Amino acid sequence: MTVESSNLVEIKNLNLSFKVYGGTKQVLHNISLSIAPGERVALIGESGSGKTVTSKLLINTLNPEQIQIESGDIFIQGKSALTMSKEQREALKGSVMSMIQQDPQTSFNPVFRIGTHLLDIMHSGDKNLGIKQSKTEQKERIFEVLRKVKLLDPERVYNAYPWQLSGGMRQRVLIAMALLHPTRLLIADEPGTALDVTTQNEIIKLINQLVHDEQLSLLMVTHNLGVVRKTADRVYVMQHGRIVEHGTVDDIFASPSHPYTARLFDSVPKLFHSEESVEDKPETPVLVRLIDVEKRFATKKNWKGSVINEVLAVKPTSLQIHKGETFGIAGESGSGKTTLARMIMGLSELTSGNITIENKHLDAWRLNNENRYSIQMVHQNPAASINPRRTIAQTLNVPLKHIAKVTNRKQEIQRLLKLVELPPEYADMYPSNLSGGQKQRVAIARALAANPKILVLDEPTSALDVSVQKSVIELLEKLQRQLGLTYIFISHDLSLMRNFCDRVAVMFRGELLETGTTQDIFNKPTQRYTKALIRAIPVISDEEERHKPKISDEDALQVLQQKY
Amino acid sequence: MNNNEPRLPNGLDEFSMTTASKQYSNIGRAWYRFSRNYAAVIGLIIVCSVILMAIFAPLIAPNPEHAGSFVNFRARHLAPSWEHWMGTDNVGRDIFSRVIFGYQVSLALVVGVLSLSVPIGVLLGIVAAYAGGWVEQTIMRFNDMLLAVPPLALALAITSILEPSLINAMIAISFLWWNWHCRLIYQLAKSIVTEDFVEAAKLSGASHWHIITKEILPNCVAAISVKTTLDAGFVILFGATLSFLGLGVQPPTPDLGTMVSTGSNYLPEYWWEAIMPGLAILYIILGFNLLGDGLRDFFDVEV
Repeated sequence: MTVESSNLVEIKNLNLSFKVYGGTKQVLHNISLSIAPGERVALIGESGSGKTVTSKLLINTLNPEQIQIESGDIFIQGKSALTMSKEQREALKGSVMSMIQQDPQTSFNPVFRIGTHLLDIMHSGDKNLGIKQSKTEQKERIFEVLRKVKLLDPERVYNAYPWQLSGGMRQRVLIAMALLHPTRLLIADEPGTALDVTTQNEIIKLINQLVHDEQLSLLMVTHNLGVVRKTADRVYVMQHGRIVEHGTVDDIFASPSHPYTARLFDSVPKLFHSEESVEDKPETPVLVRLIDVEKRFATKKNWKGSVINEVLAVKPTSLQIHKGETFGIAGESGSGKTTLARMIMGLSELTSGNITIENKHLDAWRLNNENRYSIQMVHQNPAASINPRRTIAQTLNVPLKHIAKVTNRKQEIQRLLKLVELPPEYADMYPSNLSGGQKQRVAIARALAANPKILVLDEPTSALDVSVQKSVIELLEKLQRQLGLTYIFISHDLSLMRNFCDRVAVMFRGELLETGTTQDIFNKPTQRYTKALIRAIPVISDEEERHKPKISDEDALQVLQQKY
Repeated sequence: MNNNEPRLPNGLDEFSMTTASKQYSNIGRAWYRFSRNYAAVIGLIIVCSVILMAIFAPLIAPNPEHAGSFVNFRARHLAPSWEHWMGTDNVGRDIFSRVIFGYQVSLALVVGVLSLSVPIGVLLGIVAAYAGGWVEQTIMRFNDMLLAVPPLALALAITSILEPSLINAMIAISFLWWNWHCRLIYQLAKSIVTEDFVEAAKLSGASHWHIITKEILPNCVAAISVKTTLDAGFVILFGATLSFLGLGVQPPTPDLGTMVSTGSNYLPEYWWEAIMPGLAILYIILGFNLLGDGLRDFFDVEV
């Protein structure tokens, strides 16, 4: 069956179910989507909304034994993909559409060189297209594509093992993989999400440029509205397997009509507000003081145990954290922000320097039984920080029994669940029955059970969807008001810090670059790195874009490529 | 946010893929997944049949009295027939009856060895991984040392120092067996101790004992049960080997290894006397291995 259509790809009224134990479960409801040649389309939604399933359905990487297409059809270049033979469908991969893999960390087999990965794809693509070439010619073509994705030394990249390349470079290789053969549609599933914000920014720029230069169509699958704004002309919003709204990016960003879209926009923390409310918190006494704190990690020791090689994880750093404030430590991966927090918690020894809490030396302060556990932590990923084999009540029981020494623990667990706004019957559930946001609430409840004075929040919302993030942040703000807690908030998400923190410290490669009130850091950053970092954040409005600090591309690149 | 969409309380408006599966009980799901693996189901049936045979041996065996030191020289070396399914041995005892009673001994050996060696191995493995430092070095190096000794030689040494008997065979095999569990669980626990929930438990003031038994151990259960099931077969084989060499269970207790050993004197003429107990060993080991493999796929663990 063929239809006359100007669209490169069109999905019509598609209903899709997964086969699960005991029946089927519908995951896509009446999906209609079209991509014209040269058009950039974004598919946006939170986890479980069906956006990745849709993109996989398009490129046909779903396991045919697990899916059941109830009704509807997919047209690729006007031909019905569902009536195509397996071989015809397979031949479309790499010639009509290509997919950019999501995760540069896990998409490579570490025992093979980058060149081997690329050659394999080159080989299978050539077979599909009936091209016969020698290995040298194939290599030449691979080099050309590597140059296209701005890997300036293709020879080195070709011969490198995956672990010898940085995350950003690997992501570029993944893009190159999708471009080895002339293609018409590029499908990008959350490109660069696993990377630092500055690197992600570069990747997105690159994709945009490639789409423009090669006149490709783009299907951008993402949860990040800021990325959509930068990379798409049209946008489809998905929720619970349905497309709830679609339209041009300009229209939807200006006035989202569906309540879900509106809520999504509302959940995104704004980098700059038009009406800045500067509420001065009263000056409070200093709670934590770091004096020339330094941390070195030994990376190599000789047989006697003396250190041969070491890395400087935190360069000598001094800062103060006041009682009752939310102190943000911003930085990208490897900047030393977590190490700094772990030293404050006493989980990691200082190499030199001094930490005092309430004007007492850290060790002396911790000797007091009351203070011993009064710095608590909420980890990044609640799926990892809560034991999957223990019920919520069992998890909460531990600090109540050992630290708070509460006798009526059942009642206390109910109180804690109420405090983090979870229903009381959750006490007897296992973590696998809870969603990510709910698990993070349990982690917060566990930290609160120890009656902490300071709560270290290590990227507590980075594993969560943006609307859930908002509710968790609101909960944290409420708890701070109720309990007078001091927060140390570690994050790479500056727009979130902008809305949540009172004061911010910016770290870069183990060095504390600047500290100041949130307004000062964001409105008048003094360091080039801070400017580059803020500039790279994807934002959702032109107004925010205008407010970003000015820094030239060369300057930004220079500071980011600085050697340690 | 003022919209008309119904919202769950507490911002619980996340779409979770598990909603459908929650309707079915976890046990039902588990059995469904397990039952798709035919080899594992066959393994389970074999193991259950052997256990039932062992428990109800006096009721099932056609000649229960043949399990002991029964002698009937008129019926010696009879080939397999309707009356004697597996034939009779050199003193006229029904081999089928003896095999069924032999399973009792085999299973007793399995239960004895594993209930001794698995807890020790698992506990030492977790302690080594969790404690680190010299504790780890001591446990694991001692373990390596034992792994380097050929198991059969060590077992022979132990059983020949002690009196050859079922109990002493158990002790000897247990002494060899715990270190495999120790090795496996050590590797697994080594990765579990780096998990955030272990650090969170420490921050919650949990004791070491709590962390070992309540946080780490439950996450090892899948691996332990797979390894134990696979081991059951090997323990039987090892016990049979010891008995074959005359250092395990002593006659007239019916033991599969001893029966193969005695029967082998009459090969090839009276082949059934060695082959039939041998097949019985094959049957039970096959059962445990199929079941263990099935459990491994089911739990999706590396052993």
